This record gives sequence, structure tokens and C-alpha cells, in this order.
Amino acid sequence: MRELTDSTLDHLRAVVDLPDLTGTRYELEGEIGRGGLGVVYAARDQQLQRRVAIKVLDSTLPPLRLEEEARVIASLEHPAIVPIYETGTLPDGRAYYAMKLVAGQRLDRYLHAQLSLSERLRLIQRAGEALAFAHTRGVVHRDLKPQNVMVGSFGEVYVMDWGVEGVAGTPQFRAPEQAGVAGGAPDHRSDVYAMGALLQFLLPGAAPRPLRRIAAKAMAARPDARYVGVPALLLDVQRFQDGLAVVACPETWWQQSRRFAIRNQVLLLLLAAFVAVKFFLFFLRRL
Amino acid sequence: MNKIVTGLVFGAILGLVDGATAWFTPEVRPAIVTILMGSTVKGMVVGLLSGWFARKVNSVTWGVAFGAVIGLFFAYLIAMQPQPSGNHYYLEIMLPGFVVGAIVGFLTQRAGGPSQQTA
Amino acid sequence: MDPDTAIGGLHDRFPATRHSLFEAVAAAGTLPGDALDQVIALYWKPVYKYIRFKWRMDNEAAKDLTQSFFVSALERDFFQQFNPEKASFRTYLRMALDRFAANEHAARNRQKRRGTVPFDALDFDGLEAGALALADTDTPEAIFHREWQRQLFALAVEDLRAHCQHSGKHLQFQLFAEYDLAEVERPDYALLAQRHGIPVTSLNNHLAWSRRMLRTFLTGRLRGTTSGDRELRDEMRLLLFIEGGRGQ
Repeated sequence: MRELTDSTLDHLRAVVDLPDLTGTRYELEGEIGRGGLGVVYAARDQQLQRRVAIKVLDSTLPPLRLEEEARVIASLEHPAIVPIYETGTLPDGRAYYAMKLVAGQRLDRYLHAQLSLSERLRLIQRAGEALAFAHTRGVVHRDLKPQNVMVGSFGEVYVMDWGVEGVAGTPQFRAPEQAGVAGGAPDHRSDVYAMGALLQFLLPGAAPRPLRRIAAKAMAARPDARYVGVPALLLDVQRFQDGLAVVACPETWWQQSRRFAIRNQVLLLLLAAFVAVKFFLFFLRRL
Repeated sequence: MNKIVTGLVFGAILGLVDGATAWFTPEVRPAIVTILMGSTVKGMVVGLLSGWFARKVNSVTWGVAFGAVIGLFFAYLIAMQPQPSGNHYYLEIMLPGFVVGAIVGFLTQRAGGPSQQTA
Repeated sequence: MDPDTAIGGLHDRFPATRHSLFEAVAAAGTLPGDALDQVIALYWKPVYKYIRFKWRMDNEAAKDLTQSFFVSALERDFFQQFNPEKASFRTYLRMALDRFAANEHAARNRQKRRGTVPFDALDFDGLEAGALALADTDTPEAIFHREWQRQLFALAVEDLRAHCQHSGKHLQFQLFAEYDLAEVERPDYALLAQRHGIPVTSLNNHLAWSRRMLRTFLTGRLRGTTSGDRELRDEMRLLLFIEGGRGQ
């Protein structure tokens, strides 16, 4: 048996993993990335003359399960959920699905130090809306993390890799019940946990306390201690953005007064002017 | 509650408060009821006009300015009337009237339904 | 049914379905002979090279230690003690090798153990020339990993060769050997197709078929030395993923 040289070995490793798209309408362009139990390639749809993304799933997974998941994901029509065009099976038995090719960056690469807080919160809002929508359809993401969120070239946000529980997923974003620690099966509250972790990931080092408390509440170890759903989490984030008190961060009377004063400073200034004028006139009459 | 009703309500309240402070001027205490009624009506008129303005223009700055000017004007009309003692109280009436008008102008901009002006 | 994908259909060299290592041990209570064959076939080279590099042994000493390791592993219920929750089988084997070699090396008391393990067919001497051709920056672990990849692919290529011989697909294997197994420069697609008197599209199809079959044989070989689907998936990922991207 001949021993393979290093160059031959590297070549074989590369070519054996490439999907054979013979019999499909796609022409392979190249690998885009890896994740979620499969590899994503860019390809060209020869019929519609457009570029697509093709996700080829590991051969060890049962194709029927993946087809079912693709059908579920395809039913989620939402601006932040990448539409699936087609599913199929490659000649080598691996399942694949073709979907919209998102031109953009993964969230972990899009994030940089100069990104404003409002933009970071906007990203959370967009991603959260996708999750909230999916939950109304009974679909749980189960593997939300920055690598599964794409930011398009116009700032649009897409949540990817639905319904496939990550095998080697980042522990930081996985709820305790997903690792079988806290007991109970994962449900939409596991996504709430992941949203909290995502928020924590996006927050800058010196983030406002209310936002850190929102993330902490979402990441509570017990599912029933978290927000009841993603909409409640998003509402709290919105309350922060509107200058209101957040549910996750109870305030003292002094903090409430300070918040009222900040939100109504113009009115308080005018009322103070009215009182000042009255006092001025009162003492003027005394002179 | 639309902006005109907002203006009427807050104008009435602030006008009443403004008129009540006349009690600290002993010379005019006998006419306090008349002053209260007049100040309240003045406040309601200013509030009505500020509310109308807020429906047309969505700007806190312009709303405050409009309310202040209207408040100053109607306060002047009242100050022009001599008191029973024969004195005029231009400063005591116009200066608070100016500030009350500004407050009513601000409140009609921030509270009440949306204005008709689009961005 | 496509005879090309029915691996066990046309020749009886390999079973129709390869069971995982765990399944094989669980079914037989011990490691069956064919499962042991698979483990040794895949791991003897990585083990040998790892020993030679890490402990700087000569060919004879490394050969003895390699054989001793596998015999010892069989005698000590090594395979039954494997826990897939803790590590992959590849990592488990390498760590066991470390312990075994360290004990044997320190004691300087290696005895030639033969037992029932079939080492005669293994070409230790053939490795002599290339065994020390390693970069200074290589670590023993990296070498073990690399040799594991190399041996796995080599075995799968042999499986492919045997399958093509039995199924009469000589042209497919020849094209595969000339293009994908080229050691220096890969031939031009058009020239290669012209040399064999076939259109380029046929060349594409034949190469695609060969690579598809190679992947099937790789999966089969790997399945026989892993504990189940999860480990298989992780090992496939490690086998095929190239850091920094890949070429066409």
C-alpha cells in the first residue's frame, strides 16, 4: 500500500468533502463556512441565474429528520429568517438545502469597538423579533449564538441554523437544561437564555447597569426565573431605550426621582422658572 | 385626550394656580375670586390656542415659544385693566403669564394625540 | 440499487455495514477479530511514527513497542474500558500509548510479545526511510494526528482500488489515480480527458464518482474505530476540515 504524500493527502481532504452537485441545478463556487452540523457553500443556480447558499449536512445524520427540519424552517416567513428554496439529497447520500445567500458578516465579526450602543441594541431587537415569531409557530432555535446571526450589507439581520441543536455549540450560549443540568426539556425559554447571552456578548465593557441586569435575568439558571418569552425581554430593552425603568432592575425612590427629572427636565425647568418668578415678585413688593 | 383638550385642562389648572398666588398680594385679596376666574379663563384660552398650534406644528421649541407669546399677550390684556386701587400690575401679571404660557405650550406638544404635521 | 454504493454487494472483503467500535464490543463481550483488524490497520502507522518521534527510538525498538502495545491493549480489556463521554477513541488510544510507552521505556524491559495479533503483514521496515522526515516544529501529537489522517485515507484508497477492480471500473480508478493521487503536479483536465479519449464532462463525472466512493469508504473505516454517530461526526470534521480554507 503506497504511502500518501502530504500534498496528496491535503488534496484528497479537500476534494472528498466537496459536494457533488451532479443532477442538481447548482454549480459549486466555493466554501463559505462551517457550522450547525454541516458546511455552507456558495453556488450558482443555473436556471434562475442567481447565487445561492447551499448547506450540506453531515452524512451521519438521518436525511428524513433534516428534511423535516428544512420544511419547518421553510414555513417561517420572516424578514430576519433566511428563506429556503429547495431541499434534496446529493448522490453521496448527504442531505442539503439551498437558501438565500446573505452577503454580509457574522455578528461576531461585525461587532467592533466603535459600534454604538443603539446599534448593538438594534441588532438584538431584530434577532429577537425573528425568535419571537418562530416561537409563535412552535419552533425553537436551540443554537442561537453570534456565529448564527448574520448582518447584511444594508444592516439587515438574519438568524440562521434553525432547529438543529449544536453538537459542539458554544457553552456560553446554551441554557443549563440543554446540557441536561437543570432538568426538563429545552423549550422557548432556552432561546431566552441564548438571547440574554447574546445581549451580554454585544454589550460594551462599561454597559449601563439596567442592560446588564436584563441580560442576567434572561440568563437565570432556572427557566421560570427568566423572562416568560423573548417579547418580554425585547420590551425591557425598549423600555431602557425609552428612558423608562426596566423590569429586571428595580429602582430605589431616589433612582426613580432622578429618572423622572431626567425625562422631564424641560418641564421641571419651566415650573422652576414659574416659582422663581413668583418669589421674585413677592420679594420685589416687599422692597 | 387630544391636544386641544390637553391645552384646556392644563391651561385651566395652571391659570388657577397662577391666580391663587395673588393671595400673597394683600391689596388685591378682596378681588381674589375675580382674579381666580379671570386667570383660569386666560389659562384656558392660552391652552386652547396652544393646543390648536400643537396640532399643526410638531416642535417643542416652537410650541413653547408660541405659548409664551400668547400667554404674554393675554396677560397684557388683563394687566391693562386697572385694579380697584387704581394701580396696574403689569409685571405681576405679565411675567407669570409668560411663563405659564410657555408651560402650557410645552405640555400641549408632549401630551395629547399626535399632531397633523408629518415629517 | 446502485451496485457502486452497495459496498458489500460485489466483493466480500468488507462487511455491508460497519458497526461502531462500541457496538462490536457490546455485541461480542470482547473485541471481535475483524474489529481489532480495523483498529490495528488504522493505528499501527500513527503509533509507530509517534513512538519513533517522541522517544527517538530506532526502527526495531519502535516496532517492538508498537506490537507490544497492541497485544497489551487486547490483554487488558483496553477497548472495553473506553468511555466515549470523556474523549474520542483516537485520543484515548494515544493517551494509553503514552502511559504504556513511558512505563516500558523507563523499565527498559521490553519483551517481544506476539500473542494472536496479526503483525506479520505490517511493513515496519518500509517506514524506516520516511519515519524521520519530519519538521522541527512538529509535535508528537500533531504527528499522530497527521499519520492517522494519512493512514485512514490510504486505507480508503485501497478500498476504492479493490472495489473498482471487482466492479470493472478500471477507468474510473485510473483517472482518480492520475489526477487526485498525483504527487507533484496535477495534470490539466482537458489533456487528461483527451489522453483517455473521453470528454471533459465524463472526466468530471468519473472523478466525482471516485471521490464519492472514497468518502463512503472513509466513513466506513472511521465508523469501525469510533464509538457511535456523534464521535464519527466529530472525527469526520477533524479529518476533513482544513484550517484557513481549502482550494478547489
